[in-house]
Amino acid sequence: MLQIFRKSQPPTGLAARGGHFVSREDVLVQIDADGQVLGFCGHVDLGTGIATSLAQIVADELDADPARVRMVLGHTDKTPDQGATIASETIQITAKPLRKAAAQARRVLLDRAATLTNHPAPDLSFRNGKLEGIQGQERSMDMGDLVRDVTLRVELDEGTPVKAPSEYRLVGREMPRVDIPDKVTGRMVYVHDVRVPGMLYGCVIRPPYGGYDHGPFVGRSLLDVDRESVSHIPGLVDVVVIDDFVGVVAEREEQAVEAARALKVTWAPIALPDLSDPIEAVRNNPYEPRVVLDQGDAEGHLETLAHRLDREYHWPYQMHGSIGPSCSVAEWHDAGLTVWSGTQNPHMLQADIAMLMGMPKERVTIIRHEAAGCYGRNCADDVGGDAALLSRAVGRPVRVQLSRAQEHVWEPKGAVQLVRIRGGLDESGNPLTCDLDTSYPSNVSPLLALVLTGVVPADIPPVAQMGDRTAIPPYEYANTRVTVKDMPPMARASWFRGVSALPNSFAHDSYIDELAAEAGVDPLEYRLRHLPDQRAAELLKATAARAGWEPRTEPPQPDPAERILHGRGLAYALYVHGPFPGKPAAWSAWVADVEVDRLTGEVSVTRAVVGQDAGLMINPAGVRHQLHGNVIQSTSRVLTEQVTFDDKGVESKEWGGYPIIQFPDIPEIEPVLMERQDQPPLGAGESTSVPSAAAIANAMYAATGVRFRDVPFTPEKVKARLDEALGVLEPQPVAALPALLVSGEPAQPAMARQGWKGRLRTAGFGAAFALAGGALVSLMPWRAPIAPVAPPVAGMFSPEIIARGKLVAAAGDCAVCHTAPGGQKNVGGLALETPFGTIYSTNLTPDPATGIGRWSYPAFERAMREGIGRDGRHLYPAFPYTAFAKTSDADMQALYAYLMSQEPVSKQPPKTALKFPYNLRFSMAGWNALFHSTAPFAEDPNRSAQWNRGAYLAEGLGHCSACHTPRNALGAERWKSDYLAGGEAEGWIAPALSALSRSPLPWSEADLYAYLRTGFSPNHGPAGGPMAPVVHAMADLPDDDVQAIAHYIASFDTRQAPDGASARREDVLTRTASLQALEKGEGARIYSSACAACHEGEGAHLYGARPQLALNSNVWAETPDNLIRVLLDGAPSPAHQAANTMPAYRHLFSDRQIAEVVGFLRRTMAPEKGAWTDLVARVARLRAEGGH
Amino acid sequence: MTTSVFLTVNGRRHEVTAAVETPLLTVLRNDLGLNGPKFGCGLGACGACTVLLDGKAARSCVVRLDAAAACGNIMTLEGLSPDGSDPVQKAFVAAQAAQCGYCLNGMVMTLRAFLDVVPHPDERALKEALRYNLCRCGTHVEIMRAARIAAGLESVDQETAVHAKENDGT
Repeated sequence: MLQIFRKSQPPTGLAARGGHFVSREDVLVQIDADGQVLGFCGHVDLGTGIATSLAQIVADELDADPARVRMVLGHTDKTPDQGATIASETIQITAKPLRKAAAQARRVLLDRAATLTNHPAPDLSFRNGKLEGIQGQERSMDMGDLVRDVTLRVELDEGTPVKAPSEYRLVGREMPRVDIPDKVTGRMVYVHDVRVPGMLYGCVIRPPYGGYDHGPFVGRSLLDVDRESVSHIPGLVDVVVIDDFVGVVAEREEQAVEAARALKVTWAPIALPDLSDPIEAVRNNPYEPRVVLDQGDAEGHLETLAHRLDREYHWPYQMHGSIGPSCSVAEWHDAGLTVWSGTQNPHMLQADIAMLMGMPKERVTIIRHEAAGCYGRNCADDVGGDAALLSRAVGRPVRVQLSRAQEHVWEPKGAVQLVRIRGGLDESGNPLTCDLDTSYPSNVSPLLALVLTGVVPADIPPVAQMGDRTAIPPYEYANTRVTVKDMPPMARASWFRGVSALPNSFAHDSYIDELAAEAGVDPLEYRLRHLPDQRAAELLKATAARAGWEPRTEPPQPDPAERILHGRGLAYALYVHGPFPGKPAAWSAWVADVEVDRLTGEVSVTRAVVGQDAGLMINPAGVRHQLHGNVIQSTSRVLTEQVTFDDKGVESKEWGGYPIIQFPDIPEIEPVLMERQDQPPLGAGESTSVPSAAAIANAMYAATGVRFRDVPFTPEKVKARLDEALGVLEPQPVAALPALLVSGEPAQPAMARQGWKGRLRTAGFGAAFALAGGALVSLMPWRAPIAPVAPPVAGMFSPEIIARGKLVAAAGDCAVCHTAPGGQKNVGGLALETPFGTIYSTNLTPDPATGIGRWSYPAFERAMREGIGRDGRHLYPAFPYTAFAKTSDADMQALYAYLMSQEPVSKQPPKTALKFPYNLRFSMAGWNALFHSTAPFAEDPNRSAQWNRGAYLAEGLGHCSACHTPRNALGAERWKSDYLAGGEAEGWIAPALSALSRSPLPWSEADLYAYLRTGFSPNHGPAGGPMAPVVHAMADLPDDDVQAIAHYIASFDTRQAPDGASARREDVLTRTASLQALEKGEGARIYSSACAACHEGEGAHLYGARPQLALNSNVWAETPDNLIRVLLDGAPSPAHQAANTMPAYRHLFSDRQIAEVVGFLRRTMAPEKGAWTDLVARVARLRAEGGH
Repeated sequence: MTTSVFLTVNGRRHEVTAAVETPLLTVLRNDLGLNGPKFGCGLGACGACTVLLDGKAARSCVVRLDAAAACGNIMTLEGLSPDGSDPVQKAFVAAQAAQCGYCLNGMVMTLRAFLDVVPHPDERALKEALRYNLCRCGTHVEIMRAARIAAGLESVDQETAVHAKENDGT
């Protein structure tokens, strides 16, 4: 084995917090006896392919077989501390000692070969790892042969000469990435895939100051953790609380997730800083001015400018948005702590965790694995701290996976930035003055656990001098002053691709474009005149030439009548990174073509010709790939991305609240890679992001004549400005949907033929007396108890009758109300919210004490038909005995048999407590006299047997009308006037099933059958809310019965689509598509990024029901309540078997976001129903009611 | 409510005991040790967890265990081919279509399901098929190339020609 090592050196740039430097010998290159070559680098591969490029450098310098070279990256025990993987420095800086070590290893090996073979070293060489230069040998030696049986450790000689670029054989060639074959087969072990024996699963519960890591409340806001609240969760191992750090650990991941959800944590009320307008907040943020350039007399020349232009450029908070939320595994053991991490900076994390745990950093090992791409500092480090604390608490390895919301809220953001320029032109139109100041409230972001546990005080955040990246304008002004306002962060912020350089360049290159326009000079020509850097000028010219740049000197004159405006803009930047004055990375230039839609305000970047001069490109394929990635990501950032804040902190908690670019919106990208293989390599990981915003803004100006100086260029912002500048362009009206025809006589329920017994309120009380005998009996305020009987014994009922009874129970949906959420079937305890108070359902199992075990059949039948309990007390008509009264004797007996044959469960449900006078059960006697008939079901002879079977089931056992018919002030169903005209169930709207239905398609028998049988009708949607369990309960019913119910209910919806249902369906969907093409605002973006993956379009290749919301009656309803409720609480248990669950957005969407998306759905799907008003307040009210 | 179910995953039958509402993704990763499907959002929004349920692309983070148990066959990235020889996988390697690769599973599995139903799509249809699969590294150009190769719209050889054109900066 041969090792080339170097005494470790303190990393430059970003150093570990609180870490002390320990000298050791770092191996850089190692050749094993089997010929395997290892290269060691302290940086990590963030998905950019540096593992491939670094191996290429090592193989080239060694003349090794590239297939035998493997890189070891970011392992604190094995790789040198070379600082954080930031600022595109890996190839440019970190690879230098690696290359030297490889060159030295080659020399050592050749010397050894000379000794072993008695050939002069200068005659020998390697080719692809094989020794060459020896004539006549049978088998050429390879590198492994030369180090077999020896261990050579050689210190790096910094003066070792390396190859001249002309000698490169591998560097500069396109190499396939070493990691992709494993990634495409699932063999790659990401940090998310690390499994350690005995590993437990942890979740953290973050404080309510979402996205802030400093302030007087940080680490000091926890009041109480109620451990009892999770004691029922199986597999729970521990609840860990250290100041504001709260975590749970369980045997299984879903148990930990459930415990984190259920744990009751009480926090002190917190008043967060107002970041609803981050630019205003940054204006008021304290700062220290730091003048980094003062050339000429910028201040003095402000008043002498021939044309003065004072401008501001705004950048929003943005997020990395790694596709995988951060994850880490930690194992606390006798020797210390091992942390498997996706960190960008293993050595910095090692020091942070050592500080967190109060142990020397040598006892902390960080093993770095690939993770979801991060483009700066995300939560990868934080979650390592979380895992460390949890593992220490439970003494076992713990894996912590952050949720999507935790990553969104807590990742250190790319900071808001305000750049102000005062200056302008001299009389000849030359740039005279640029007096620029820039404000960037960001720092290194402490490891979150350090501040949550109070190990690092969080009152006053450290100020980092990070606003100076690329702050100096690249163009020559006679007078230039650049002031960096060093300031603390506001929300948690740290570096994100392009750091402060991207916004600074946005200002530089927007401003020069404005000056060119003011001077009446072509923007390309103007830049070239004032750009002193020759390589920059060559790049700009090459890029413009490829794009077919046509000079222009006149201001743009958009046609106000045109819907789509086209424009082309350019920008240039040299990304200067690292602490001031920094180091330049690759040069970059853009020519962007945009289309601006006047009607929607949507901006599309249709083509981007992007030039880059990165010097020597180790792997041009990798450089091109980075260029593509930068263009796409920065286009997304510029066009739509901004983190929003509300009074609870970060409001953007998932992809709907922070949409990123989708495939159809990707620009055509044409890279122009400058051939500079004889020049030193330069970082290419970020450079092409840097000119993006200015190029796009300048193209938008060329298209519209309007300057946009505040990223992002969202459709609503662009439309408002263009409407103001060019006048409002009215869209072609989208044709309204034709109305549905109502034909034929509305159906009547079967019992209409019996007269409207009990429901003839106008007939008065006396009339009720005159009705059937049952009513008279019911009027008795007190009824005799029926004596208890011995509980049933096994074998009392025949299997046939029990089977029939099971079907009756299914038809009656007994279990729907008599089962509590998550509870055992028919044991009761479900809370039924009624206008009169909360009613708890009872235990229907044959338990003698708490259930119906001691109920005789007569007692049971009396309850079912008259609403009288065994003890003689009146039952409330939330129990639909008014409907059950219609049940046939045979069915009733079978039902009794079935219920009495269940397994008894001893459980007392909560006691029902109604408001006065409903709390007086005897008041129900009068109610029954008025509203209840115990008459048996009678068929309608004018209807078919199927219809009558449906009527029997629907009017009786199925008690459809209990929810779908409105009730009067006393809670009785209004059968006569409003049968199935829509009612309410547990706070949900139970839509009308008659011709009053608001569904855009009539409910056909086939639709109803599909809906009731499968839980989903493609023409309408899924059974949701309280209807989902009804469909579940009906699963046991035979098809004939479900068909009969569908047949019966369909007879009430007498609406007809003029051209048939399928044409109507097409019309509705087409119309919606037309309307949605005209609306691209926030509601549309939330829909597109959070909802559409499951709800948009139909795909034969996609699993699950795909409910088309335009067809859903809830979008057409009078109130938005059902839509809001399903958004808040989701559909965790869908009725349709092959359906996705719908997530609950209660903790993910703000009231405002729900209002935006609900408003969008209404406007684009059911515009004829009119806009819903006061949506935000309505969401707040329904949210406050809690979940159902 | 804890239940025991049988799942047929990549052709092998497994018995799994877990709460019925457990997401399929959790079971595939933790009980069966499969790393192909990735946790991205838990909301069905990003597509990183995509698997094939009876050949159809499903977001396994929003599929309950009981729903999955009703499916005949569940296929993950690992089951597509043991050696990366599925044409879609090969196309992704040929196009070098990954940066971090975390979204890759979803891209490959969604395309597999799509091409099984629409064997000869055009580019626009491919973009629409992948619209709701999110990628943050900006690998869309390479992924689209992989999609075109897999759909037969482009051959692997065209790469050289494209690069020759792209690199002619002076």
